[in-house]
Amino acid sequence: MQYTSESVEALVEQFTKLPTIGKKTARRLANYVLKMPQEEVETIASALRSVKEDVQRCSTCYVVADQDPCPICSSDKRDASTICVVEESSDLIAIEQTNEYRGVYHVLGGVISPLDGVGPDDLRVHELAARIDPSFEDTAADAAPAPETMPDGEADDDADPSENGQVQEGETAAPVDEVILAVNPNVEGDTTAYYITQLLEPFDVRVTRIARGLPIGGDLEYADEATLSRALEGRGHVD
Amino acid sequence: MILHTLRLRSFRAHAESEFDLAPSVNLLYGPNGAGKTNVLEAVHYLCLTKSFTASRDRYAVRTDAPYFEVEGRVGQVRKEPMTVKLAYVPGEGKSVFVNGAELDRLADLVGLLPVVVFSPEDHDLTAGGPSERRRFVNNILSQARSVYMETLMKYRRARRQRNEVLRSYKKRSAPPPDALLAPWTEKLVGLGSRIVHRRQQFLQAFADDLEEAYRRIDAVAERPTIEYDTIADLAPDATPDDIEDAFRAALDRKQGQERDRGTTLAGPQRDELIFRLDDLEVRRYGSQGQHRTFAMALKLAQYFYLQRRNDTEPLLLLDDAFGKLDAERTGVFLDLLRSDAVGQSLVTATRRGPFEPALDAEPASHRALQVQPGDGAAVVAPDPEYAGGDATASNGVASASGGPDATAPTSRS
Ligand SMILES: [Zn+2]
Repeated sequence: MQYTSESVEALVEQFTKLPTIGKKTARRLANYVLKMPQEEVETIASALRSVKEDVQRCSTCYVVADQDPCPICSSDKRDASTICVVEESSDLIAIEQTNEYRGVYHVLGGVISPLDGVGPDDLRVHELAARIDPSFEDTAADAAPAPETMPDGEADDDADPSENGQVQEGETAAPVDEVILAVNPNVEGDTTAYYITQLLEPFDVRVTRIARGLPIGGDLEYADEATLSRALEGRGHVD
Repeated sequence: MILHTLRLRSFRAHAESEFDLAPSVNLLYGPNGAGKTNVLEAVHYLCLTKSFTASRDRYAVRTDAPYFEVEGRVGQVRKEPMTVKLAYVPGEGKSVFVNGAELDRLADLVGLLPVVVFSPEDHDLTAGGPSERRRFVNNILSQARSVYMETLMKYRRARRQRNEVLRSYKKRSAPPPDALLAPWTEKLVGLGSRIVHRRQQFLQAFADDLEEAYRRIDAVAERPTIEYDTIADLAPDATPDDIEDAFRAALDRKQGQERDRGTTLAGPQRDELIFRLDDLEVRRYGSQGQHRTFAMALKLAQYFYLQRRNDTEPLLLLDDAFGKLDAERTGVFLDLLRSDAVGQSLVTATRRGPFEPALDAEPASHRALQVQPGDGAAVVAPDPEYAGGDATASNGVASASGGPDATAPTSRS
């Protein structure tokens, strides 16, 4: 150790935990922070803290928001019969910026990836099914412990998702008739889309995917607005 | 496609080497360990973003250097020349620049500068394990169709994910639930079938190239063939749907074994190519000479295939390819390199003997570059005796003969 401070090294270490930040960039950031005025550093620190402390998730769509339900879910200008399924809240923001979409959202919280220890139960897929058919949740909960009896379609034939069941919910729960899967077009995204499509198969709902218009391998978050708008218009049925 | 100039910075034995190349044969000669092969490796980085040896990127960085950089000026048919640069920083990875603009993905570079390598390791193509032959096909298809490499990478990812499901349930001694495994099986089948379909189509087209290549190298009238051994017996005109069905059926048959072993047991990762000369299976029964000729024919056929497919002449890199060849085959090969059938080539050799007639006859097309272990770093310089037409050796540095804008390159140790 020559000319280095343990605090600086610790900060570098913490920065490298962020995505796309390598050791070199982390060092540059740490050096920058070192030169910043005290107040600015405090502002960043408190912003970091409050993002975890003050921010909550909408209990309907699970987007990160300051209020529950979130502004989109509580707006009467949004069409609740169309749900756009995204991986993260940041994907929702990317789609909102296109100003093309008038429906509501559902944030999964990731994609299925066994290598990262993420299975369907770690995502909000059952919550999605429950939004389409409120009777789903019970079925799923019962089925969860036994691996062989995952809801695969047949299991839900008894719990008929007929319109009668949903009309009773009153005006607040409009029947969902379209689910748009806006997961990223990579191996994990495709597989998650397939899983959800299978899961929603028994329900009377149209499932579409918008991946096609996106650049291959591109992240939704970084897709430009024009591309996203085109993708939203030209979405097709998942086969 | 022609490489006009090449610059290596902190790349293996080279601290900073910059030199011009001739449009046809470029002979890099010098003692073993001088850094000749490094030059071919550097070119290979520009073509395929990696070395042709199994070596890791970080070993290509010169000792104590923070990064390496390889840059080439590439002449294109009816287009402005472009500058292609690849930089690698250990811990941060590789980046590629075309005319100064960074490419979003490394894979986008692959196929832009098609390349074919002849090296002593080609022996493994006919004598080694099946993975050598799969790598050969993957290399060609990646260069010929950009989407192939992407499919291949996605397939590997899907297989790793599927294996993880199988592995984790094997550990729990429970069968993986269908709801968890089926989505991965579906993805695996979709991607894997596209790979098999491409390989099948490729091998059909490649058969003629191989015959043509073999004829050029060997006068003997044996007929070289390749049999494709994949997931199931497939008709030559099998559609992707047929292949998907066969792949699904194969996975179905292996279901029990996959649970027991916790890994995927069917798919293109188990493909094999069987090389034959007439009825003789080369891997098992071929003579030394037949192995050598067959491997050489495969590479030459790769050249013909890529040339047709990409509509440009691939670069030919020959790493000590003449070392083990007899005089007759060397002669055939040299004639081929000098002929119109082949564009630009970079050849390493410890001796320049076999090349002297060519260098003498057409100094404008061919060039000899001396690679020597200098004072702490490799030095590339035009051979004073065979420096080529308008090139003049000065201060131990390769001199310009390319465009009017070619400035005096530098070489320091
Ligand atoms: Zn909401």
